[in-house]
Amino acid sequence: MPHTMAEKIIARQVGRLVQAGDKIDRLPISKVFFNDVIGPPAIKTLERLFGETFAKHGKPLRVFDPRRVFMIPDHSLPAFSVAVAEGVDLMEQFSREQGLRCYREGDGIEHVVLIEDGHIVPWDIVLGTDSHTCTNGAMGALAFGVGTTDGAYTMATGHLYDFVVPETYQFELIGAFPKGVYAKDLILHIIGTLGAGGCSRQVAEFTGDAIRRLSMDARTTICNMAVEMSARTGIMPTDETLLGYLKGRAQWPVAPLVSDPDARFANRITIDLSTLEPTVSFPHKPANATPISGVAEMMAASQARSTPDFPAVTSDRITDAFLGACTNGRYEDLVEAAAVLRGRTVHPDVSFVVIPASRRVYERAMDEGILQVFVKAGANIESSNCGPCFGSHMGVLSRNAQMISSSNRNYQGRMGSRDARIFLGSPATVAASAIEGRLADPRKYL
Amino acid sequence: MLTGTVTTVFGDDINTDDIIPAKYLQQSDDPEFFATYAFALYDMAFRERCLATPASIVIAGKNFGCGSSREQAVYALQYNRVACVIAESFPDIFYRNSLANGLPLIVLPDRAGIAQGDALDIDLAAGTIVNRTRNTRHPFTMKDADRTTFQAGGMTARVRAHLEEILARQ
Repeated sequence: MPHTMAEKIIARQVGRLVQAGDKIDRLPISKVFFNDVIGPPAIKTLERLFGETFAKHGKPLRVFDPRRVFMIPDHSLPAFSVAVAEGVDLMEQFSREQGLRCYREGDGIEHVVLIEDGHIVPWDIVLGTDSHTCTNGAMGALAFGVGTTDGAYTMATGHLYDFVVPETYQFELIGAFPKGVYAKDLILHIIGTLGAGGCSRQVAEFTGDAIRRLSMDARTTICNMAVEMSARTGIMPTDETLLGYLKGRAQWPVAPLVSDPDARFANRITIDLSTLEPTVSFPHKPANATPISGVAEMMAASQARSTPDFPAVTSDRITDAFLGACTNGRYEDLVEAAAVLRGRTVHPDVSFVVIPASRRVYERAMDEGILQVFVKAGANIESSNCGPCFGSHMGVLSRNAQMISSSNRNYQGRMGSRDARIFLGSPATVAASAIEGRLADPRKYL
Repeated sequence: MLTGTVTTVFGDDINTDDIIPAKYLQQSDDPEFFATYAFALYDMAFRERCLATPASIVIAGKNFGCGSSREQAVYALQYNRVACVIAESFPDIFYRNSLANGLPLIVLPDRAGIAQGDALDIDLAAGTIVNRTRNTRHPFTMKDADRTTFQAGGMTARVRAHLEEILARQ
């Protein structure tokens, strides 16, 4: 019987054939990771719920397998408060006791560093205490976010409980991007087409000829935003590009994985990349997407029919720009933005924050002179972390702000004031808008 | 039987940033702390309405609880005495977090006929919502396993039993 990638992964973990809709009482997990938002309460929850059980058996509390558990302080670092600093202390101390890997502050964002370090491979089931764990689906893993309690359960036993095998929505990507159009434009277009709940509870599988031509950085951008249409996760098939990326990097055995062509898909849609243009999402949700040529029309619509999550936008001016986040803070993202910005300067009314998504990205961009382009243009470069996407530091927005961001969420209040307006776009669109001080089409700079 | 009053009716796509903004997440490990800031940027009167009501019921459209995986969103509701959420649909992460904490989520495809201020009696076992204010009745379906978990307040007992098995084998 033919199966989807998701069905095959789960079948291998539980040792029997499964299909969408089956309930799995105990699902064994390959890797689980925690950030500084949920890591500290999860460690305390683990001790509170299971400390006595270990003690009863005369054993010290131990995570199920220290090689498969990771602590990654990345949201609020360097610590912006005593509470954050003490949370990181707890993660570090717990990691030492348990013999598991705790990343250093500034090593980078969880959805970037584990991939870079070869910890995520096809066939894995990966849990992270962050909804953008779906990013890891670009590696052919079934990867999704969980909360504190599920995370603590998994640390204790290595399992997730009462899991329902999800259906799969297949996106066949054909054609090639026109100049100035990138993976971010594609995923914003898809989310705009399907809506915030358009892929609810289904795995978004991205396949087709076009995928083969996309780099790993582009693939992670696409999978990263699957959750913005409420997908269970995003996932991509194994090909030469992925195998090449994993060669010499993978810390775990690698085997290829694809869906069977005749597997049962809940939905299928074909998208021709050559038909796309630079795309931006209007406040306050990623699904409010429009081609850049439709900005004026979208502004008019927002004024005529404003709702709580589609407020009136009365100007296309930009006061703040952010290049970074688990969506678009990787090496190629910086290269694409720098290509727009090189030899130009950031508009005097714009505060432009650039955050390489990991220390490796930072170092490479520094060595190759890419960071210089941003510095000379008048941008502020910060250490690798989630930055303003988490709304707490490194560029919190005022009530008057209009932000163009390469991140994944433009919810009301996401980056500061509830009155700020956040637009999402590709790194090139962010750079072009930072130059002009208004929403701008990057193609004229390429 | 759950009994409560509808104190809020939301539309579609309420996200967990709406329910509890990020800036509060790392200020405390105490679940009750987050109740103070529920919907702090989205619906500033939410908490007041809840405080004035012994048991609140939240009604919403599609996709309630989308976005971030922050479990604090569930605490922010529970510690405002929200007895259950009735919505057209819920995404996975929020659904699991609610299961883990025993906050019952009821999927009701058609919520027309339930309004703010209505008094509801909800029978999870029978799968019925009785609107005492309007004398209407709304059937719903819920998986047996989920009902058991909601009523047990989570899965911890099962996970402990599994951990016992694992430790006994070592």
